Order: sequence, then C-alpha cells, then structure tokens
Amino acid sequence: MATDRALEIDGISKRYGDVVALQDLTVDIRAGELFGFVGRNGAGKTTTMRVVLGVLTPDAGVVRWLGVPLTFEARRHIGYMPEERGLYPKMRVAEQLMYLGELHGMAGAEAREAALGWLDRFGLADRRDADLQALSLGNQQRVQLAAALVFGPDVLVLDEPFAGLDPVAVDVMAGVLRERATAGVPVIFSSHELELVERLCDRVGIIDHGRMVACGTVDELRAGGRERRWIDSPAAPSDWEIGLPGVRLLRADGSRRLFELDPGVDDQALLQAALATGPVREFALVEPSLGEVFRSVIGEAGA
Amino acid sequence: MSTRPRSLGGTRPLPTTVLVARREVRMRLRSRVFVGGTIVMTVLVVVGIAAASLLGGKTNLARVGFSGESQALEPTFSASATALGASIVVSDIADVAAGQAQVTAGTLDVLVTGSATAPTAVAKTAVASNIESALSLAAEAARLSDAGLSPEAIASAMALVPVHLLQPPSPRDNENVFASMGLGILLWIALGIYGSQVAQGVVEEKATRIMEILLATIQPSRLLAGKVIGIGLVGLLQLTIVGAAALIAVHVTNVASIPALAVSSILGDIFWFLLGFLLYATAYSAVASLVSRQEEVQGAIAPIAIFQIVGYLLMYATLANPTSPLVIVCSLLPPFAPIVMAVRMASSDVPSWQVGLAVALTTASIVGLTWMAGRVYANAAPRIGTRVRFMDAFRGPRP
Repeated sequence: MATDRALEIDGISKRYGDVVALQDLTVDIRAGELFGFVGRNGAGKTTTMRVVLGVLTPDAGVVRWLGVPLTFEARRHIGYMPEERGLYPKMRVAEQLMYLGELHGMAGAEAREAALGWLDRFGLADRRDADLQALSLGNQQRVQLAAALVFGPDVLVLDEPFAGLDPVAVDVMAGVLRERATAGVPVIFSSHELELVERLCDRVGIIDHGRMVACGTVDELRAGGRERRWIDSPAAPSDWEIGLPGVRLLRADGSRRLFELDPGVDDQALLQAALATGPVREFALVEPSLGEVFRSVIGEAGA
Repeated sequence: MSTRPRSLGGTRPLPTTVLVARREVRMRLRSRVFVGGTIVMTVLVVVGIAAASLLGGKTNLARVGFSGESQALEPTFSASATALGASIVVSDIADVAAGQAQVTAGTLDVLVTGSATAPTAVAKTAVASNIESALSLAAEAARLSDAGLSPEAIASAMALVPVHLLQPPSPRDNENVFASMGLGILLWIALGIYGSQVAQGVVEEKATRIMEILLATIQPSRLLAGKVIGIGLVGLLQLTIVGAAALIAVHVTNVASIPALAVSSILGDIFWFLLGFLLYATAYSAVASLVSRQEEVQGAIAPIAIFQIVGYLLMYATLANPTSPLVIVCSLLPPFAPIVMAVRMASSDVPSWQVGLAVALTTASIVGLTWMAGRVYANAAPRIGTRVRFMDAFRGPRP
C-alpha cells in the first residue's frame, strides 16, 4: 500500500521568461512519510508546491497521485498551507474553518465538528468566535494549519509551516505532522530550520536552482557527503602537511585539527600519518549535520 | 479528528458557488456598512416622502378669519374660494385687535373686518390672489343681495367663466420630478456601493492571499459567480427594504398620485438595479482581478466608474427634458440604460419598444461581459503581486 499511495512529482519544469524556476524536478513522496524540502530562497520550493496544488501550470512534467495525473477534483483533497499566509482577516475563526471544510466538500455539521475539533487541539477553543485579525500571529498560523487539516486531506503540502512559531507551537505542529504521516498521509513541507528538518523528517530533498540536487534519508545524505575526522596530535609541528591525496585540513584548533576526506579515502591512512608525528590523543568521526551536508551539496552544485 | 471517511462521489451538501454566495451574504448582512446604510437610506426616503406630502398640503391652505358683520360672508366666500381652487379654513374672530395679533403672529393668514358689503382684508404681507378674488366675489354678492336681487339672479350674475385647458398641468409635476430624482439617486448610490463591493471583494482575496487556498479547491469562475450573486442579493435586499419603506410611507401620507412613487416605479427601480448591478459588477470584477492591493482598486475601476458618473449627470438631463434625443439614445445604451431608463420610466411614459430594446441590449452586454470577465479573472486571479496587464489576462497564460 505504501508505494501505491505516493505523490509523484515527475519531471516538472517551469520558466518565468528567462528565469528557470524548475528544471526537470522529480521526487516521490510516499504515504506515511514526512518529507522535508530544503533549499535557499528562490531555489524553487514554493514553485514546486504551487505546481502540485495547480495554482501554477508547469511547462513540462506531471504530478501524479495514486498513479494517475492529479485532477482538479483530486487536488481538492490536498491540504495546503501557502508561503504567504492567507485567510479572511475579518471572519470568525471557527466560521472560517467551517467554510473551508465545506468548500472542500464536507457537509455543514461535519465541517463544524472538524473545525471545532482542530481549534480545541491547537488550544484555540476559546477564540473560535474571534475575528482572525484579533489573534496573535502565532495563533493565526495555527489557524492556518487547521485550515489545511480541517477537511481531512489525503496529502499535506505545507510551505514553511514552522516559520514564526514559538518552541511550544513548533512541538505541537511537529506532533500533528508526525501523526498525519503515521495515519498514512504523505506530508511534504519546506523549512529553513535544518535542525528541525533533520530531527523530524523521514526523507529530505535539497533543491537548488530548480533542480533536486540531493534526496534521501538524513543518513543517506550524510553518507553522500565527505567524512570528517578530528585528530589531536600534540607532537605534530604547527605547519604539519598531511600530504595525503583526497584529504584536506579544514580547521586547526591548537593541537586539534579537522580534516575532510574525499569519498573512498581510507581514514586509517590518515591515522597512520598522524601517528607518524607522535602520539595521537584523539581520532574522532564527525557526523556532519544536515546544515553541513546542505552547504556542501549546494556548494558543489555551484552557488 | 482523524481523516474522515470519504468517497469522492459521496454526499456533497452544497455546490461551491452557493457556499461562496452564502458567505458573502452572511458577512455583509452582519457588517455595519449594510445595517447603517439601510437605516440611513430608509430614513432619508421616508423623510423625503413625508416632506413631499407636507409641502404638497401647505401650498394651498389659507386660514381666513371673519370678525363682526363680515361673518355673513363666510358661506359665499367658502363656495367661491373652493370654486377658485383654494383650500381654506374659515374661523370666527370675536375681537379685531386679537385677530390682527393672530395675523401678525402668523397663526392666521387673512383677517376680514368691516361690513358684509364693504369688507376689508387684513394680511401680513400679501393675500393670495384667489383668496382676494373669492372675497371680492362674496362682497359683491352681498351688495347685489342688498340691491334686491334674488339668490338665483346673483348666482347667475356671478357665474365664473368656464376655462377649458387643452393641456392641463398636473399639480403634482414638481413632486414627480423630485421623486424620480430621488429614485434615480437611490439607484445610482446602490449601483455604486455594490459595484465597488464586488471590486473590493475580488481584491480582498488577492490582497489577503486567501486566493491561493481558494483556487486550490474551487474554479475561478465559480468563485466569481458566487461573489457576484451573493453581493447582488444583499443589494437587492437593501433596495427591497428601502422600497418597501417608501411604499408604506406613500400609503400613510397618501401622496400616491405622484407617478414616480407608484409600486410599478419602485419595482422598475429594483429591476434596473439588478441589470445595472450585473453589468457593472462583472466589469468591475474583471479589472479588479488585475491588481493585488486595496489601494489600487480605485485606480483600476476608474475607467468604468466614469460611465457611472456620466449616467448620473444624464439623470439630470432626463429630468429636465425626458424627450430630448440625447436622453432617449442614452437610455437605450447599456452603460447608461440602468439609470437613465429607470428615471425615464419613473418620470414619464416610455414607449414599450424602447424599454424592451434597452433591456435586450443591457442583457446582451451582461452576457458578453460575463464571458470576458470570467476569462480575465481566471487568468489574473492566481497572479498575486504586481498589476497584471488587461490584455495579458485576456489572452491567457503565458507560453
């Protein structure tokens, strides 16, 4: 079932005049998966999401759900949180959610129940009759997420859902996304908060200049990057040249040095070279953070 | 809370267009603009009608007091005055000095003193000519009676010359022009208010960025149709409330002889509001969908608003001369017909072929504009940000 219920983004391209926004971008988001979409500003994350929602028409490529190209009717079952938040400022919160639920095809009573349920979940039960504009920005953002969830979507597409949230709200939002994914809903979201993405996502896609430059689990991405080792060799001279091909010195901190190894380079050769200078007090594998992976991948892609 | 069980073809309670229209109606009925606007319009209309009725009664009513011997003139004076078309109230005045004080105070218009054969009329500034004539006739009748003529002979001698008018003026003409103007202004205001509400409603959805969420679940044409229908219904309701208040006021004050305040004229006003609203709302929605910020709305709709202003000016031309060729031609042309034809119909008789032609041309324009507006709106609505050029939106998505 898991592979059947996938959102397939297949080879989409989009140009704005001379500007290439998306270039043959392909990625699958599987059911039950939290997929994080990272990339610099203007890399194409928002454009991709807008194409999925049908707000933009791609120049080439197709988006499929359950193996068939997305129709307008199928798109109505996608929960969407656009980059630029948008709800009616002067409409009551609960009424607004009910309205959106009904627009997505719910019956009135059902929409009401769902709207009140989500407001309760986000701790906004006492604000249900307040106009949206009377809420704090953080609370407006919760309502925005509720708007994407209220009709029980088959797919969730969220553009920067964590931007501007306090740590407690981030936890609530992360919990809800994880819960939806566990319920079998493919969840795709973009974020600049790489630590959060690293902690939360099953898979991560790194997009740059409209292309998917890396995609996989955080561990897979780390494996694709260069390995690093800290070495503490007090006897080594301060101008010590390691002299090994594929090994670069990144940083020196007293007698501690950080080296980066090209793929395939044997770290034992590095250790032996270090031992040749005298005692080695530390030889440590450094797990690159997603941020480091991101920078190295984006750097390779040619910034 | 969990994903609700759903089948794609399951019970879908309400079509999306109905949902959009229902939201518009709910939100607007609740707004202060609607409640306040309806109250103000209703009060103005009722006060206007009441004033028309009071003014209409006051112009002819003369209070005439007779003192002493002159009181014998009262029956003949009343008869003559009525024959001369004056409305009078006759009273007995016991004391001449007190009567003069009443004239000075303005509670009495004319005080008649002296004998029946040689009365004197005392007034503050002037005596209406028909009152003066009636008094002269009454005194003359008294003198003829003194001279020994029989009442029949007197009546015969004093008979008024019958006047036959080929084109009798209606005493209500002025009131009718004012009432037609009132209807016209009301219609013009309603068209302005609800037309610009459509424009602002369209831009609101782009400005608040909810457009992107809406367009992911509803086709642009249905969103636009729901908005126009919803706002139109609110306008219709407001005009119906004001119109009903006007009809009740007309009934109570009994000024129904003013043609422009007849049921048919008020229904005509509402009918032309519907056509005019659909015409202007579709045009407004098309140009408003090109911009993304509320501040740009006025500039965007200005080229169309000019037609409305010209229509307003033509309304005065219509009242001044309802049969001039300019007025007749403009009353047939769609951008002006809703106001000019409505005012013509209220203030005078319009040949039915002209009404039919105006309705047909306006309806055809609405159909054409709806097609154009639907196209422009569908292409421009998702493009939030800088202003979209009209022809770009009309031609469709860029290659």
